[in-house]
Amino acid sequence: MAKIDIHVNILRYQPDSDEKPHWQEFAISVDDDSTILDVLNEIHWKHDGTLAYRRSCRSSICGSCAMKVNGRNVLACETPIHRFGRKFKIEPLSGFQIIKDLVVDLDPFFEKLKRIKPFLIVDKPLPDKEFVQTPEQLEQIGESTLCILCAACSAACPSSWPNSEYLGPAALLKAYRFVFDSRDDCADDRLEIVNDKNGVWRCHTIFNCMEACPKKIKITEYLSRLKLKVVENSL
Amino acid sequence: MYKRTRFYDFTYYNFIGSWAWILHRLSGLALIFYLSLHIWVINSLTYGEKTFNEVMTFLSSPLFKLLEVGLWGVILFHAFNGARIVIVDFFKGSLAHKKLFVALIAAAFVLWALGSFLLLRHAF
Repeated sequence: MAKIDIHVNILRYQPDSDEKPHWQEFAISVDDDSTILDVLNEIHWKHDGTLAYRRSCRSSICGSCAMKVNGRNVLACETPIHRFGRKFKIEPLSGFQIIKDLVVDLDPFFEKLKRIKPFLIVDKPLPDKEFVQTPEQLEQIGESTLCILCAACSAACPSSWPNSEYLGPAALLKAYRFVFDSRDDCADDRLEIVNDKNGVWRCHTIFNCMEACPKKIKITEYLSRLKLKVVENSL
Repeated sequence: MYKRTRFYDFTYYNFIGSWAWILHRLSGLALIFYLSLHIWVINSLTYGEKTFNEVMTFLSSPLFKLLEVGLWGVILFHAFNGARIVIVDFFKGSLAHKKLFVALIAAAFVLWALGSFLLLRHAF
């Protein structure tokens, strides 16, 4: 493990003193196998304690540390710095208001998620023991359940940026996850919610969400399946 | 809280999918512009044969031949990428969208070269 010198540009915004965000460069020395989160920790702990960012699990499962590095959304904790060389820039996620430095206001993101009722709704009589699913039924929703709600997809979606009403890929993926769940009985309601100009039809298959997803979920593929389901359901 | 301008958002890295989307929008706008122009040119018929012939002579200049070649490219891109979007959305093509883009644009390019040759054969 060798030390390397890197130059990191971070978009800073301190609500108490700054009118608008500005770039600040940090020249620091870190281990060559560091992640983006290691770099932020190094800056926060040894250089500038006022730097604000979200982090928690540092093992890409909590979804706190999504941010934009060199123009693309990544999870800071799982992204090694060698992907970007010795000079790179870190910004907060696009499409959200900045609270402080790299911390953005994710309230609108979770509000949209709530709109599609992101929980299992069962109308039929409950089974004596557990619900039984075939491997095929699980396969259909398996990957979509891996979403960690980091918002990297919604913040990467060009359809979301100019339109704050668009549900966004994360909420639509969650809709897919329950619509195609064999145990759920509320598919019709959810399909009605996503069958809207700011629902699934605002997806223009740009694929930025799929490129950004740290869990490599095939979001656009599932959104296409959701579109087909909406059409089938309307016939 | 600070709300950044939309310009900031569009500094996001462009992958093949977003280039296809941007070019599809731009080619769509170009086609709307061309169709308006086309209707305006045809409208000159209502001013009689002489005016129409004058306009047609003006439009037969080498510059407009070159623009026609460009228009042919724009039409092909919009049509072929449009087909890609339909395949992606309704024929399970989303996992192969990059290959689809390359293949369809290559096909469009061949047609563009062929059409351009036919368009420019008698122009100069």
